[in-house]
Amino acid sequence: MIKPQDALTKPLPVPDGDTQNFWKGLARGELLLQHCLDCQRVHYYQQGLCRGCGSERLEHRPASGRGKVYSYSVVHRAPGPAFKDDTPYAVLLVELEEGPRMISSLVGGDPECVTFDMPVVLVCEKINDEITLPRFKPA
Amino acid sequence: MRSEFGQTLRGKVAVIGAGVSAVGRVPGRSPLLLAADAARRAFTDAGVRKNDVDGVLASSAFASPFHRFSVAVSEYLGIQPTFSNTLQASGATAATMFNVAAAAIVGGLAETVLIVGGDSLLTGLSPDLALRSMTESRDQQYEMPFGIPVANTFAMTAHRHMKEFGTTPEQMATVAVVEREHARRTPGAQMTKPITVADVLGSGMITSPYHKLDCSLISDGGAAFVLTSAQRAKSLGIENRIYILGCGECYTHEHIFLMPSLTTTGAVQSSRHAYEMAGCGPSDIDVAGVYDCFTGTVIMMLEDLGFCPKGEGGRFVEDGHMTYGGTIPCNTHGGLLSFAHSGVPGGLFHFYETIQQLRGKCGERQVNGTNLGLVHSLGAGFATNATTILGTEATL
Repeated sequence: MIKPQDALTKPLPVPDGDTQNFWKGLARGELLLQHCLDCQRVHYYQQGLCRGCGSERLEHRPASGRGKVYSYSVVHRAPGPAFKDDTPYAVLLVELEEGPRMISSLVGGDPECVTFDMPVVLVCEKINDEITLPRFKPA
Repeated sequence: MRSEFGQTLRGKVAVIGAGVSAVGRVPGRSPLLLAADAARRAFTDAGVRKNDVDGVLASSAFASPFHRFSVAVSEYLGIQPTFSNTLQASGATAATMFNVAAAAIVGGLAETVLIVGGDSLLTGLSPDLALRSMTESRDQQYEMPFGIPVANTFAMTAHRHMKEFGTTPEQMATVAVVEREHARRTPGAQMTKPITVADVLGSGMITSPYHKLDCSLISDGGAAFVLTSAQRAKSLGIENRIYILGCGECYTHEHIFLMPSLTTTGAVQSSRHAYEMAGCGPSDIDVAGVYDCFTGTVIMMLEDLGFCPKGEGGRFVEDGHMTYGGTIPCNTHGGLLSFAHSGVPGGLFHFYETIQQLRGKCGERQVNGTNLGLVHSLGAGFATNATTILGTEATL
């Protein structure tokens, strides 16, 4: 059950065993995708084994940072007090050049001007020493 | 293999009691009390005593600290079941409770199962806290940091549906208008003031393309049902038995960015299983309860459940096919959009209405000639889908 004070702060990622290298990559400006060396699938969501073939031979390679908007929604009513001051903001479902999709949000652009297939590029937004969030701006 | 399995379940379990608490703004009532109140009404409706129940299935409540809600509600009711669990499939939990209860009864884990839920999102929490609580179920590393509201995943699917099929905001708004008309005939519904398409489009954007009136309510309320074997229901002399004919579920992804298609969902598969087990198809269904957390959700579900072709849901709704006189009267109580939405019990209200429709007890809301009903529950941005098909004695 949620406590009122929990809703006042923005939730931040807590890296785990599957994701610590991913977050370290972002801290140095790289969005790391997992490439399966056995079936060649490319994963954004970090796992210890390939979702396609079960192989553990997954290799981190930095994404190009280029993608396009697959879908989006401009938020006017924030999910709790922590995000109220940011509204309106555009949540993006970005399709990366390498194939995988990811959730992010727009920086440095008018949220109301987002459209389908709009080209976007990665912006690494440093939050603290551990966490850098992968966000996107219009290309 | 599946059809053989299905034959073991079809018509073997009967719903013998149904109850709903007061819904809407119900201050001063805990989730446990709302659940227990609904349970008491379901016992009375079934004509059974609480100690006749040996199984309890529930879902956790946002406004309650109990992880083992089914155990807590059993204690609250003063019963000690020998089969119990607290299920969690977000909005799909309602239909999963019916499916699991049916399987438990057929499989001999329990003879008589109480399905129960209660939550107080509106007065036990608050709209702000309720929305944030629901958001907590999104991924804490990949989704929540970006301020993704609960409506957002559904909004992105609706947006994509607009792009791919030309579905319009007006068509989506029509779902809200139709359901409000339905709620006006439902005693106790939370919202009964008539609305127009223009009202919906002018109600303020929440997260595009959804306006306030495209979104379901935040409510208090509970619902409960008593299920037993068809054989036992008959021997108890219970009249108006409603049977479980088909069940199906499908879980296609956890994260919205891994959803295979944003416009075709696991409801295709879950309903296919349910139809197969029930031995019927969409055109045989007389009345439906379709999870309506957002207006566009209903449009996509009418397609995926087979009531109209893919991409034509918007026009289907606009042409009056989800109400009286149309192809499939849907959410005749007003649904989550206008009757009430208290979390998982919201999905149970669809069952309550469909069962009452099949019993012929809906008064001025009654659809004529109802023998087969379908309820579809879904949740977490279409991550979870569950379908249950119910029928009267005549369908056995």
